[in-house]
Amino acid sequence: MTVTRDQAARIATLARLHFEAADLGRITDELNHILDHVEALRSLEQSSAPPMPDERAPTRFPEAEEPDAIRGGVGAFAPDWREGFFVVPPLPGVHAEDGA
Amino acid sequence: MSQVEAARRAIAMIREREAGPERLNAFLAVADPDSLTLENPNGPLAGVPVAVKDVLATRDLPTTCGSRVLEGYRSPFDATAVCKLRAAGAIVIGKTNMDEFAMGSSTENSAYGPTLNPHDRTRVPGGSSGGSAAAVAAGYVPMALGSDTGGSVRQPAAFCGVVGIKPTYGRVSRYGLVAYASSLDQVGTFGANVRDAARLLQVVSGHDARDATSVQRPVPDFEKAVERDVAGLVIGVPEEYEPEGLDPEIRRSFEAALDRLSLLGAKVRRVSLPHTKFCIPTYYVIATAEASANLSRFDGVRFGQRRGGGAADSLYDMYEATRTSGFGAEVRRRIMLGTYALSAGYYEAYYGTAQRARALITDDFRRVFASGVDALLTPTSPTTAFQLGERTADPVEMYLSDVFTVTANLAGIPGLSLPLGEVRGLPIGGQVLAPWWREEEMVGVAGALERALAEGAR
Repeated sequence: MTVTRDQAARIATLARLHFEAADLGRITDELNHILDHVEALRSLEQSSAPPMPDERAPTRFPEAEEPDAIRGGVGAFAPDWREGFFVVPPLPGVHAEDGA
Repeated sequence: MSQVEAARRAIAMIREREAGPERLNAFLAVADPDSLTLENPNGPLAGVPVAVKDVLATRDLPTTCGSRVLEGYRSPFDATAVCKLRAAGAIVIGKTNMDEFAMGSSTENSAYGPTLNPHDRTRVPGGSSGGSAAAVAAGYVPMALGSDTGGSVRQPAAFCGVVGIKPTYGRVSRYGLVAYASSLDQVGTFGANVRDAARLLQVVSGHDARDATSVQRPVPDFEKAVERDVAGLVIGVPEEYEPEGLDPEIRRSFEAALDRLSLLGAKVRRVSLPHTKFCIPTYYVIATAEASANLSRFDGVRFGQRRGGGAADSLYDMYEATRTSGFGAEVRRRIMLGTYALSAGYYEAYYGTAQRARALITDDFRRVFASGVDALLTPTSPTTAFQLGERTADPVEMYLSDVFTVTANLAGIPGLSLPLGEVRGLPIGGQVLAPWWREEEMVGVAGALERALAEGAR
């Protein structure tokens, strides 16, 4: 697969990046150069080898097969948590009663 | 001498040498020697000066990730690994230079200039944790923290002649580690020797409820494991890690290390990890895909610098101006590649296939370890430290620097690099890989090999 200049411009928009005209040509060439090497994965895609037995869960390691170890609720992740709500510091210049 | 005196001396040495002709540019920020605090005078690292890669959040020093977009940014909290350091009595004396957002293999992608290799200042220290590796190799600090997404602790450790450890994924909390590729990132440790790197790993390991990928398992005594005997252990040598193009002198040093392990009673067995050939394309699809999502948070709204945002600008104009001026070329390149790999019509061809390749690479390790192999030994890198600027023109050539290290991240297994000797005056590293959660065996093999090589050098 080859990335065209128009596709690179579209990707840049999705990524919230801007490339001047000359830079857009350069980044398009660089992406294609890298993707040439990524094409090695095609041989895997086209391989007739049978799928691995654990292919459905490709990134789970054998020792991670126990239930997830998240014991606490979401509040355990919060810097501050009161009565079921995240507590955030007031904005500068805003007093607590202003937001009531 | 007060317990903070060693840290003050380290800071004085860094300031003096980094201001002179032998400057390495290893640090992006150095602590004020008059404001050092010791949280635990009786901890296992009481008074030990430690450097921290600038990708880990610290309250008292800026956290820039080597990027202009975070220039001057101060985190309101410490990363868990940093909290654990301080709780153990260590003193964080500075933040080390790195490839921007950990994307690179030479530390040349830092927005604040490259770090130089202490063994030869015309050469790179490796990356992305090049500042931490150089700081330990230069004797600035005995230990340092880094992060390893595709070899970013082990490869610079090899290039700088120090020890670097990447633990099993989930062993060390990633809370406060600025994310690059979340399914691959791990905090790692550097030391001047295996014992120091293992001791630091001991301190930062353990479950943390703030990181959902942190695993609840007991932390073994890694430092004690350094003294283990390797007699009877089976050491696997994967044929794919000794390619025909490997530098002959690196091959010779590597074979000499294997001979040492044999003399210690280990059984050396040749093995195969046949899907290794897919590791670089797999890594660069998965890592960039995750990076494109993780780095979307740097848009001028919540963190760091903002560009644009004038009355005539839309919100999108501000996002674009901030990101385009704030990110360096390699970060922009990887975000573009990752966005493309995840875009409609290409997702399955790239990301889906890479995930399948990752499963096969992981299964290679599972099969070899299940066959009775206790640990694997490989070269850490196919080359010694290369010249500054030698690989910056071709991103693919730079990516190939990681060919022996990325597999451990893809599979989630622990890896360690230790010095095997020198080739043409430059350090080379050997990599010990172990099964999931078996860091004890890994540091045991490395410790035994380190002792044997030291005895042989006498």
